Amino acid sequence: MTTDALDLQEPTLGEVQTDGRLVGSETADLVFEIRNFSVDYGWGVGAVRAVNAVNLDVHRAQILGIAGESGSGKSTLVYAATRLLRSPGVISGGGVTLNLGKDDQGIMESVDLLKASEKELRKIRWSQVSIVLQSALNALNPVLRISKGFEEILKTHRPDMSKGERRARAIELLSMVGLDEDRLQRFPHELSGGQRQRIMIAMALALDPQLVIMDEPTTALDVVTQREIINELSDLRARFGFAMIFITHDLSLLVELADEIAVMYAGSIVERAPAGALYSAPRHPYTLGLLNSSPPLHGERRELEGIPGSPPDLADMVTGCSFHARCPYKMEKCVTDVPALVPTDDTGRVVACWLHSGDVGVVVPEPLSRLVAITPAKKFHTVSSTVKKVEEAS
Amino acid sequence: MQNDTTLGQLEARGLTRHYSMRASAGFFGPKRIVRAVDDVSLTLKAGRVTAVVGESGSGKSVLARMLARIIVPTSGELLLDGTAVPVHAKRTLAYTSQVQLVLQDPFSSINPVHRVRHSLERPLLIHGAKKNEVEALAAAALERVSLDPPARYLDRYPHELSGGQLQRVSIARALCVKPKILLADEPISMLDVSVRLGVLNLLRGLCDNDKLAILYITHDIASARYIADETIVMYAGQVVERSNGTGLIDEPTHPYTQLLIASVPDPADPTRAMPEKVDRLTQVSIAQKGCRFSPRCPHVMDVCRNNEPPMFDVGDGHVSKCWLHATSGEIVDVGLPETQRGGTITKK
Repeated sequence: MTTDALDLQEPTLGEVQTDGRLVGSETADLVFEIRNFSVDYGWGVGAVRAVNAVNLDVHRAQILGIAGESGSGKSTLVYAATRLLRSPGVISGGGVTLNLGKDDQGIMESVDLLKASEKELRKIRWSQVSIVLQSALNALNPVLRISKGFEEILKTHRPDMSKGERRARAIELLSMVGLDEDRLQRFPHELSGGQRQRIMIAMALALDPQLVIMDEPTTALDVVTQREIINELSDLRARFGFAMIFITHDLSLLVELADEIAVMYAGSIVERAPAGALYSAPRHPYTLGLLNSSPPLHGERRELEGIPGSPPDLADMVTGCSFHARCPYKMEKCVTDVPALVPTDDTGRVVACWLHSGDVGVVVPEPLSRLVAITPAKKFHTVSSTVKKVEEAS
Repeated sequence: MQNDTTLGQLEARGLTRHYSMRASAGFFGPKRIVRAVDDVSLTLKAGRVTAVVGESGSGKSVLARMLARIIVPTSGELLLDGTAVPVHAKRTLAYTSQVQLVLQDPFSSINPVHRVRHSLERPLLIHGAKKNEVEALAAAALERVSLDPPARYLDRYPHELSGGQLQRVSIARALCVKPKILLADEPISMLDVSVRLGVLNLLRGLCDNDKLAILYITHDIASARYIADETIVMYAGQVVERSNGTGLIDEPTHPYTQLLIASVPDPADPTRAMPEKVDRLTQVSIAQKGCRFSPRCPHVMDVCRNNEPPMFDVGDGHVSKCWLHATSGEIVDVGLPETQRGGTITKK
């Protein structure tokens, strides 16, 4: 990789090392690997392919965003990869590896999640991989006080902790997400949506996991709370260095939060690139459409088109590129042949589109051939202030 | 603006809804009044989209339901085409044929065990359409929301349609009795990003071409900017800022509006000022006296904690309920209905 390519990415946050997060560049910091992974719903001839040959890497302290519409397979992908998917979901191929870090001899310990037994999975879940779901009201047990939730997690995974230690840890976790300790005695229904989601995040971080999966954690919240939570997540990531997979359909949120973004459509990744490059210079027509679907806050008011049509029915998949029916730049080849995910530029981007396959005679339309802009530093006001506060306290 | 009775206009004067609830002390604890909506006046005019923006709990949905007369206001009055509506009486067919409500979640607001046909024909039959006409009317309603050809959708079940298509069915259901006023309560927040614009463009088209008066309720301030002719920001049941067009989004004058706008993810402008971090441990969400936003406000002054600010005129039909504008802006009498001030709020 050239040094120019590194310069194009956004500067890293704080002291956290997020180098080597690009595909295949370094394996030392690799936390989570998904290789050629496919998931079906149902068996035999009636099977519907929900996730199709997906490759993803998540590095330490990296936030990987997965964007896509409902039904694009983004949730199915992470549930299946962490073995949480229930029947009729079937993993039909590929491999998923979770690296637990180096042991005393410096040898990388890793777990093949697809081969792990229930017992092994039970050990890894929550302590190494935790998940925050969209609806915190449904994820929290309505008849138990918040303290009980923390108690259960710590009791199961840290049996040698005393009752007092468990309580102290719960209070520490709550203060990490900006909640007062009196919340511990509340029931879920007594808290607001934002507070419940913060508690889910605190629980997810209770055992210092390697990987935290966020499945649309802010979709049900309003913008002010969403802003507070994503600022907090950036803070926590900078402090603890866990890797994060953040699933959402809001691409502009991801551009602000994530380091790298994978865009999914109809079960496949159609484009994967560093966040800044994806935003300033999208290469796939679907990414461009998603970016143009959010009305802007500035500039002249003009009519926007969004993406015409609706997502394809997975049970009745079209031939060729799955996006061709909605694509404004459709060519003959798109209807018959499936484009492969190929690198296009030196930012580490891969895209599945015939426009970028390097075929002779294909003219890439202007909106899809923009130069990658060097984006200014992401501004999370809270990062520096929190770090300072932590330093002062210690 | 003079009332044009053929076009339809819904005016609300001082709409207020209070709920009484027990404090956390339990059943025998003291009662507390929650002011869900407090003295909100607005006018929905034909061919205009009025956007109401606010976070969850700001009272915007209660406002929509009072306008639809599903919730009875504690006080205040409604005027449909200039005629007072008896707000405490039972809702009449005559009223619902003029004013229709579109709900947020199409997956739960459309009966899943019936075909689309049923959802569209039932309101028509209730409103007295003839049995042999209903199918044509239902098909026409589907065409208006660009579900073409209607025959393809009439006999589908809700689970066979996508979220965007279902929300269009929900709008078609509201339109099939030919209302003049459409109240849309967060119509796009449950939809995928890629189909949101389609629904927004549809609402805009209904407003421009069919001269419907539309109330667009949202927490997404960018979508309000895209569609609105008048924008109102609500906080804790009160209107805190309003402007013609999207003036308040381009130049927000109330600290709450500024907070809302700064919170929107906006990758186009990554260097902009982020909202001030409020110390959440001491944060009380709504002040009981003074300005309701004062506990969260970064510019809070002594006057804010004790005195509720009036509406200050900050120019060009733009008013702001904030003491910061006490020196520059003139007080606007909010109690005065808009029509007596010549339709829009003007600088005196």
